[in-house]
Amino acid sequence: MLEIKGVHAGYGNLKILRGIDMKVQTGGIVALLGGNGTGKSTLLKAISGLIPLMEGEVTFDGVSVSKLKPHERMRLGLVQVTQAKEAYPAMTVEENLVLGAYTRKDREATKADLQKVYDFFPVLRERRKQLSGTLSGGEVQMLVIGRGLMASPKMLMLDEPSAALAPKVVLEIFANINRIAKSGVTILVVEQNVRMALILAQYGYIIRDGVIMMQGEAKELISDPAVKESFLGGSVSDTTKALRN
Amino acid sequence: MGFDFNSLLAFIIFGVTIGVVYGIVALGISLIYSGLDIVHFAHGEMYMFGAFFGLVLAHNVGVPYPVALIGAMILTAILGMAVERVFYRRLTRAGGGYTVAGMGMIICGFGMSVALVNAAYFFFGAEAEPFRANLDYIPRLTFPGDINVPESYVLTAIISVLLMTGLHYFLRHTKTGLAVRAVAHNKDIAYLMGINVPLMISLIFGLACGLAAAAGVLIGPMQSVQVEMGYLMLMKAFAAAVVGGFGSLPGAILGGIMVGIFENLGAAYISASHKDIYAFLLLILVLMFRPSGLFGVEAKVKA
Ligand SMILES: Nc1ncnc2c1ncn2[C@@H]1O[C@H](COP(=O)(O)OP(=O)(O)OP(=O)(O)O)[C@@H](O)[C@H]1O
Ligand SMILES: [Mg+2]
Repeated sequence: MLEIKGVHAGYGNLKILRGIDMKVQTGGIVALLGGNGTGKSTLLKAISGLIPLMEGEVTFDGVSVSKLKPHERMRLGLVQVTQAKEAYPAMTVEENLVLGAYTRKDREATKADLQKVYDFFPVLRERRKQLSGTLSGGEVQMLVIGRGLMASPKMLMLDEPSAALAPKVVLEIFANINRIAKSGVTILVVEQNVRMALILAQYGYIIRDGVIMMQGEAKELISDPAVKESFLGGSVSDTTKALRN
Repeated sequence: MGFDFNSLLAFIIFGVTIGVVYGIVALGISLIYSGLDIVHFAHGEMYMFGAFFGLVLAHNVGVPYPVALIGAMILTAILGMAVERVFYRRLTRAGGGYTVAGMGMIICGFGMSVALVNAAYFFFGAEAEPFRANLDYIPRLTFPGDINVPESYVLTAIISVLLMTGLHYFLRHTKTGLAVRAVAHNKDIAYLMGINVPLMISLIFGLACGLAAAAGVLIGPMQSVQVEMGYLMLMKAFAAAVVGGFGSLPGAILGGIMVGIFENLGAAYISASHKDIYAFLLLILVLMFRPSGLFGVEAKVKA
């Protein structure tokens, strides 16, 4: 569904991504993992078109989208939810969701999708007339995922949906991501929560300093000693040790 | 001079009407500010061009006043969109606000203002021209106490209310309006919603310049039309925007009304020869005691 070949990209003259190759098959969930500042969000922006490519090619559904503007890529079904968890604070929950369907002409299906989003996230239905600036962090995360869904995406890219949320909320959101994937939307999810992400996803990529360092089936990655060492460390005794030093 | 309640009322009525016109120009400045994060310093010239377009349409082409008004709005909107696309786009794409490009944008706006004034001298000449509009079909209003409100003021009030309601309806109740508000708040997210952001920016500019033109055509029959008229209007609209709370659309209108009343009362009771000073006096007072504006919020919440 999505194919990335030799992608270099960054900000102005600053190159962040240095030759990324990646493939996301139709259906299922792929995780993109890596530490802070390794270029995960930058890669999503390069895929969605928010930043231009310096080199390389992005193909979606068999079409090269490298030259397309973000709103044109989005119309092909390639939808990104940003890390900043930006809802429009001065708009109501429902206005935000309607905005997600901005490009759609099929009114009936859009209405049905709105109900579907409310079924995924019942709390949004309760808050639909509320200004989204007054939502809690978890609710905003649900809102931005729901808004992404309103575009009726073929592929949904989520940037750290678990960031800064309580474990219970994270669990709820991950369960919903799983249900969304089951409903036929391909998912590329960026995560810091490596363990949870590898349980959720079928395939994983690990990025470091702008290159893909490692990739493989999620089951294998989770038991890989190198992954354990760099990401899954942090058992209780490790933490205690680190705090004492 | 004994205190005369009727004349106070009259000054207030005239102040409100003129103030609403300041508010309409301020509305455009606020719209551009919330959409592009820039302060458009050539906006007074859009107002001036609008007045001239209206004048040419009404006098030379000979169309009725309302048609001239609409025509001037459309022509000025096109002019504004062209200026934005050709001259501002590269700078605003690099970022507005406090960035280096934002600074460049301020200078570019001043430059554009000078360029437009000179273009206007070339096309329209240096003479101040009276705007003769046939407004016989508009009723003259007479308030109790023999306060006569001329047709041009009545018309201004009507048109202003129509424009404001129209803008409000557009921004709050149409899909494109929703998209404009989305672009004003965050361009990246708007892009990701599938909104054609560059097109919306053109639209914002066009709308703002069209509003300025309406103000120009409305002021025309009250004062005369001349090339240098934009400068003072920019300052007053700016004062209105700041008084109301920069970037707030209702604030722009209310700020305009405040400036209009303040200026009329100042001219009536203090000194008429310093009429143009009072707007800035109010501006300074507001900045001293409530820098976020009378109706603005502390933080910048847009759209
Ligand atoms: N707009 C920008 N302009 C310049 N540099 C940027 C910009 N955004 C990000 N960077 C830089 O690019 C690098 C990669 O950032 P990126 O946001 O892709 O990291 P990330 O992997 O998503 O990290 P995190 O997990 O913390 O979100 C960082 O060094 C960052 O400072
Ligand atoms: Mg990131």
